[in-house]
Amino acid sequence: MRGPAISIRGRAFGDRVLLALVILLSIVMIAPVLWVIGLSLKENAELMANPNSVFHAPYTLKNYINTIGTSSVFAWVFNSIIVSGGLTLGTLILSSLAGYGFARLNFPGRNILFVIVLFGLAVPEQAVLVARHQIFSILKFHNTYHGLILPGLSASFGVFLMTQYFKAIPKELDEAALLDNASRFRIFWKVLLPLTVPAQATLGIFTFLGAWNDYLWPLISATKKEMYTLTVGMASTQTNFAQSEGIGFLMAQAVFAGAPILIVYLFFQKYIVTAVSGAAVR
Amino acid sequence: MKMKKMLFAAVSAGALMLASPSLAATELTVQRFFGACDADFGTNTDVTKAVGECGIITSLINKFNADNPDVHVNVSTVEWPGYDQLTAQFASGDAPDIVTIHESALSDYQSKGLLMPLDDLLKSVGVTPDAFTDAARNGATKDGKIYGLPIDSWTMLYHINMDLFKQAGLVNADGTPMLPKSPEELLAQAEQFKQKTGKPYFVQNLANETALYTRNLYTYLFQQDSDFFADPKHVKLNTPEAKKVVEMYKAIFDKGYTTKDLDYGGAINAFLAGDGGVQLNGTWVVGDNNAQSETKGTALNKGGYAVYPYPQLFGGAHAQYADGHTWAVSQKDRTPEQTAAIGKFLKFFADNDFEWSRTGHLPAYKAIITSDAFKALPHRNTIAAVADLGRPLPSAVQRQFAIQDIVGEEMSAAITGQKDVDAALSDMESRVNELLANI
Repeated sequence: MRGPAISIRGRAFGDRVLLALVILLSIVMIAPVLWVIGLSLKENAELMANPNSVFHAPYTLKNYINTIGTSSVFAWVFNSIIVSGGLTLGTLILSSLAGYGFARLNFPGRNILFVIVLFGLAVPEQAVLVARHQIFSILKFHNTYHGLILPGLSASFGVFLMTQYFKAIPKELDEAALLDNASRFRIFWKVLLPLTVPAQATLGIFTFLGAWNDYLWPLISATKKEMYTLTVGMASTQTNFAQSEGIGFLMAQAVFAGAPILIVYLFFQKYIVTAVSGAAVR
Repeated sequence: MKMKKMLFAAVSAGALMLASPSLAATELTVQRFFGACDADFGTNTDVTKAVGECGIITSLINKFNADNPDVHVNVSTVEWPGYDQLTAQFASGDAPDIVTIHESALSDYQSKGLLMPLDDLLKSVGVTPDAFTDAARNGATKDGKIYGLPIDSWTMLYHINMDLFKQAGLVNADGTPMLPKSPEELLAQAEQFKQKTGKPYFVQNLANETALYTRNLYTYLFQQDSDFFADPKHVKLNTPEAKKVVEMYKAIFDKGYTTKDLDYGGAINAFLAGDGGVQLNGTWVVGDNNAQSETKGTALNKGGYAVYPYPQLFGGAHAQYADGHTWAVSQKDRTPEQTAAIGKFLKFFADNDFEWSRTGHLPAYKAIITSDAFKALPHRNTIAAVADLGRPLPSAVQRQFAIQDIVGEEMSAAITGQKDVDAALSDMESRVNELLANI
C-alpha cells in the first residue's frame, strides 16, 4: 500500500538539493535517448547537410517505414526472441540447478568444481571463438537456433549468482522440509526456488539483454539471411557510411531494436531493484 | 473409380504445367554489402529510376531475376565490408556463389584457393579484360588471372567549395580551381586560403579514422616513384619519401590549414556547411555533393562545386591510389547449369556498368568512360582521368585492410603530434611487416 505523497515543501533543504541533483542527472541520462529519437524522425539528406535540423520541422516517419519495410525484419525479430528467450530459459534452469547443487549438496570435488566454473569468468569469448566455430562447423550447428543458444548456456556468472543466493537462504527451511519427508528436488522446487525470484529476475533480464544485443557470435554463425538475429540483420541493411549518409535510418533502427528490451525491463524492473537492494518481494 | 484417377492425373499434370518457372530455376546465392533498401526499391526493375548504391544494385538484381526466369538470385546483404562473415562462411564450407569483394581484399581469398579464376567464364560470355580500364584490370588481376569481375574503380578526390576558392583568389581565368603542383605550393595556397577566408583549406576526417591517412600516403608515394611494396611480403615505409608526405600533412595540421577533431560524418557536415575549401573524400559522395550544389541556399550552391583527382605534387608517376569493387565467385563444385547462370549474372553486370557508374564510382570499362552518356553525368569529365591514374597496391599484397589500419594509426599519431614522425614511420613499417610475416 503506498503512503501519502509528501510535497516538496515538507522536505528538508538537503532533500531538495538531492532531488534537484537527481532531476538533473535524469535529464543528462535521458538526453541521448531523446536525441536518438529526434534524429530518427528526420530525413537522412537533411541531417547529412545539417545535424542541427533535428531541432525543427519537418519530421518524418520515413525511417521507421523503411526499417519495418525491410523484407526480413520481422523474421529477425522472431529469431532474436527465440534465441534470447531460449538462452534465458536455459540459463535460468541450469544456473538454478547448479547453484542449488553447489550451495546445498555435499559431493566429492564440489569445491574444486566450483572453482573450475568460476575460471570461466576469466576467459573472454574471443579467446574461444575460433575453436568454437570449428567445432560447430563439424557438428553442422551454424545457421541453427541451437548453434546460437548453446554457447551462452555455459553461464559462469549465473551459476555464481545463484549459488550465493541459495547460500543466503537459511538451512532451517531445508531441514524443516526434510522432516516432512520432502525429496531433495521437492525442497529445491517448492521451498527454495520461489525464494530466489529476485535473483532469477536479475539473471534473466541481464541474460536476455546480453543475448538480444549479441553481435559477434551471430555474425559468424548465422550467416544466412533467414537466420540473422536482429542485431546482425539491422547492421546488414546499413550502407558503409550510414553514420553520415543514413543517420536518421540508423537511429530509427536503434529505437526499433531497443523497444522490446525496454518493454521487458518495464515488466521486471521491480524485481531488479529488489534484488539489488536486497529486500524480499512480497 | 477409373474416372476419378484420370481426373486426378489430369489435374496434377495441369498443376505441374502451371507451376512457377522458379521451380526449375537455377539457384544462385549472392552476397553483397551496399545496404538494404527494400522499402524503396525492393521490387523495382526500372534501373534508370534507381538512385544510390543500394537502390541501383537492388534494382539491377531485380531486373536480372525478371529477365532471366531460368535463374533465381537469392540475395543476402551484409554489413560493410562483410569479410568477417565471408571468412567464417569459407571456414564452414558454406560460402555464397557470388560475393562483392574489394579488389584490395581479393588476394586474401585468392591466395588460399577460395576464389574461382574467371578468365574462361568471362570469355565464354563475351567479356574480355581488354575492355576494362587499366585501373580496373590491374585491381582484379592476381597472379596473372582475373579473380573478380570489376564493376567500378573508386578513389579519393578533391571536393572543392568554389565560392571559398573564389574568395581566396584560387580560381583560374577559365573558372577552374587552382590546384597546387608541389608540397610547397600546396602550403602556400593553403596559407593564402586561410588568410583570405579565415577558414581552413582542408576539411578532413582526422578523428576515428585510418583509411584517409593511408590513401593519402599511398598516393603521394606513388607520385614519388616509391616502390614501397617491391616485396609484397615486406613493406618499406621508413623512407625519405614517406617522411616527406607525413611532414607535409603534419605542417598542414600544425599551421591550421585543416579542420581538426572531426570524424567522417562531422567532416561531411562541415564541408556542406562551407567550413573549408577542400574535402578529401571519395567518388561515392559526388552525387550527394552535386545534389547539395543544386539546392538553393546551401554553401555549395553559392559559388558552385567542383571535384578533381588529387593534384600531382611530386615529379614521379602520374598516379593515385585507387581500389574498386568486384563480383567474385567462390571456388566449389558446380553443375554446368550453375556455372552458366553465374556467367549470365556477370555478363549482365558488365553490360549494365553504366547504371552502376551513376553512383559516383568510376566505371570499369573503357567504352563507358569515353561514352557521351557517362560524360554527361555531373562532374565526370573532371574525374574520368582516374581510370588511367588509378593504381592499386601490388596484387600479391595481402591483408590490405589490416595494413590500412596500422598505417592510418601511425600517421594519425605523427600528424597530430602524439608521436615523432621518424618513430611513427619506424613503428608503421615494423608493425606491417610483423603482420605480413605471420600470414
